Amino acid sequence: MTTSTLKTTTLRSDEFSCPSCVDKIETKLRGLEGVESAEVKFASGRVLVSHDPAKASVRALVDAVAEVGFNVKPSAI
Amino acid sequence: MKQWNTWGVVIASGLLIIASWLTGSDWLMIAAAAVAGYRIAISAYQALRIKTVSIDLLVIVAAVGALFIHNYWESAAVTFLFALGGALERATLNKTRQALSDLVDAAPETATVLRDGEPQTVEVWELVPGDTVLIRNGEQVPVDGTVVSGHGGVDEASITGESVPAEKAEGMEVFAGTWLRSGVLRVQAVRIGANTALARIIHRVEDAQDAKAKTQTFMEKFAKYYTPGVMLSALVIGLLTRNVELALTLLVIGCPGALVISIPVSIVAGIGRSAKDGVLIKGGEFLETSARVSAVVVDKTGTLTNGRPELTDVVVLDDAWSEDQVLALAARAETASEHPLADAIIRGAEQRKLAVAMVERAEPVTGKGIRAEVDGHTVAVGSADLLDHTPANDRILALNAAGKTAMFVGVDGRAVGIVAVADTIRDDARAAVQALHDNGIKVVMATGDARRVADNVAAELGVDEVHADLLPEDKLTLVKELQRQGHTVAMVGDGVNDTPALAQADIGVAMGAAGSPAAIETADIALMADRLPRLPYALGLAKRTVNTMRLNIAIALLTVAVLLAGVLAGGVTMAIGMLVHEASVLLVIAIAMLLLRPTLKEAKQSTTQRHEAAEVLAS
Repeated sequence: MTTSTLKTTTLRSDEFSCPSCVDKIETKLRGLEGVESAEVKFASGRVLVSHDPAKASVRALVDAVAEVGFNVKPSAI
Repeated sequence: MKQWNTWGVVIASGLLIIASWLTGSDWLMIAAAAVAGYRIAISAYQALRIKTVSIDLLVIVAAVGALFIHNYWESAAVTFLFALGGALERATLNKTRQALSDLVDAAPETATVLRDGEPQTVEVWELVPGDTVLIRNGEQVPVDGTVVSGHGGVDEASITGESVPAEKAEGMEVFAGTWLRSGVLRVQAVRIGANTALARIIHRVEDAQDAKAKTQTFMEKFAKYYTPGVMLSALVIGLLTRNVELALTLLVIGCPGALVISIPVSIVAGIGRSAKDGVLIKGGEFLETSARVSAVVVDKTGTLTNGRPELTDVVVLDDAWSEDQVLALAARAETASEHPLADAIIRGAEQRKLAVAMVERAEPVTGKGIRAEVDGHTVAVGSADLLDHTPANDRILALNAAGKTAMFVGVDGRAVGIVAVADTIRDDARAAVQALHDNGIKVVMATGDARRVADNVAAELGVDEVHADLLPEDKLTLVKELQRQGHTVAMVGDGVNDTPALAQADIGVAMGAAGSPAAIETADIALMADRLPRLPYALGLAKRTVNTMRLNIAIALLTVAVLLAGVLAGGVTMAIGMLVHEASVLLVIAIAMLLLRPTLKEAKQSTTQRHEAAEVLAS
């Protein structure tokens, strides 16, 4: 994956209630094709995902997090 | 809604337990275990899917085991207590996260982008660098960028902490999350979303908070070793003795009921006590560092000062006019302005009982001041550029050097006087600085304001070090530098721009009433009474809470250790074990509740501090 195709998308949720949620979400997202990195900020409920939009769309990221039990949406910051 | 669901489960399970006691129905007790255990089971399953053995799994195995050997009450008690501990802990953690969510919400979700000259509303995350966005009066800036046309006053307090709006024109930089208070700007986006200055502030806070959260989530770390340890022990004992009941007893007794509740209940009780005294304490483990604080970094605006400009001087330059006339003219001209400095001048005139009628016509001059028609004369308030004839600037320069913002007042092109405004020092700031010095604590001022303003306030209060013209990241660097020098640092602030430093400091202290919600929630201690002299008192309360928490953890761990040894040695049955377990839970709760009572010593301290503050103020 070349860095030029990567984009950072921020997802947000108010549903993360335990530090162990962080592992679940990061593991799930990092397992997706086209995702370079995923970092959950437990303190704010943000998820920073560095991904190739052609291989992993914003919709796909949202769906992947939903699969491990959390609703998220794209955020401005 | 989530909060309500969490507590709803705890309440429903508790009611089912009571109903079971009243009716003697085992089914109601099983239902209580199922209601409280359902979510714990889901969480345990989700953790297992990513190969993590969580404490939830231990609780569920113990609860199911208890059901298997027909000990329904134990099953319900274990799941109910675990759910209660979790709800208490979540309530504390959620407060911190809400704060950061508020900070993220400080950025607008949508922007007006110009495509082929036509305005279109789009989601901010859809923008790309190079887009031109339109920002109208009263709107928020959605991106970091450069002004390509237009001019206006931008309130940048959220980024720089500067209380006076900055005038922006072509070629100047603006930041996401700031507010356009006057004019219209077209801005070319340079940084968007996660790359903006506001996002960097949020990022810093998150990193510091996450680091703290990790040290605070004692149970998570503990479970990593404890849970597999207990399960393995039960399995080995079961295989060796061929006694299923003994193995399950070990599991149930090993389930740390008192431990899961000892931390949250102590924190909640400590927070309850301190809140009654006007001090909001946020967490557990980090509070022990309060005893070691050796340097306090204090923000200026809103913390040491009142945070809004007040009229300080009226100077007459033409003997044909009186002070009151000069001030009245300035105030009337400023009635057409929305600038905070105008507010200060008008309030100053009103305090002197001067009539301040609205002017009919006025023309704000960007970056220079205002011109207005007053009783047939052209009155100007602002820089010398607005006037035809001005005396030497030395009076203005002298006032500026004293940390004040000074403006000429002119009539028909000729200067007749000067008005000056400044942010004024809080009444209790001097007492607070003195009290900190008395305790051997170094006091450092950190502000986004100009050097001359900062020096003036610092000299007035006697602080040890002054750092001015700071951006939020500079405040963070200052805190880190003091920590590198070996200081345990408390940071006192009130604005969004203080939040990275508040989060980085060993102890973050926010000023309540004047503080932004983000600063208050990011901090470890918030002085809701908004009185800086409460800081030493707050540190004392924090210490008491930490001591109670440690005592409770010790009791809980000791109980589990003694019971496990008792089971292995023989003599401790499931019934005795659970009885001791429940007794330890009640003991832990009772000890935590003692925090709710103010002690005589504390009351004396509080009174002494009030007297000391009063004496310093009176002197």
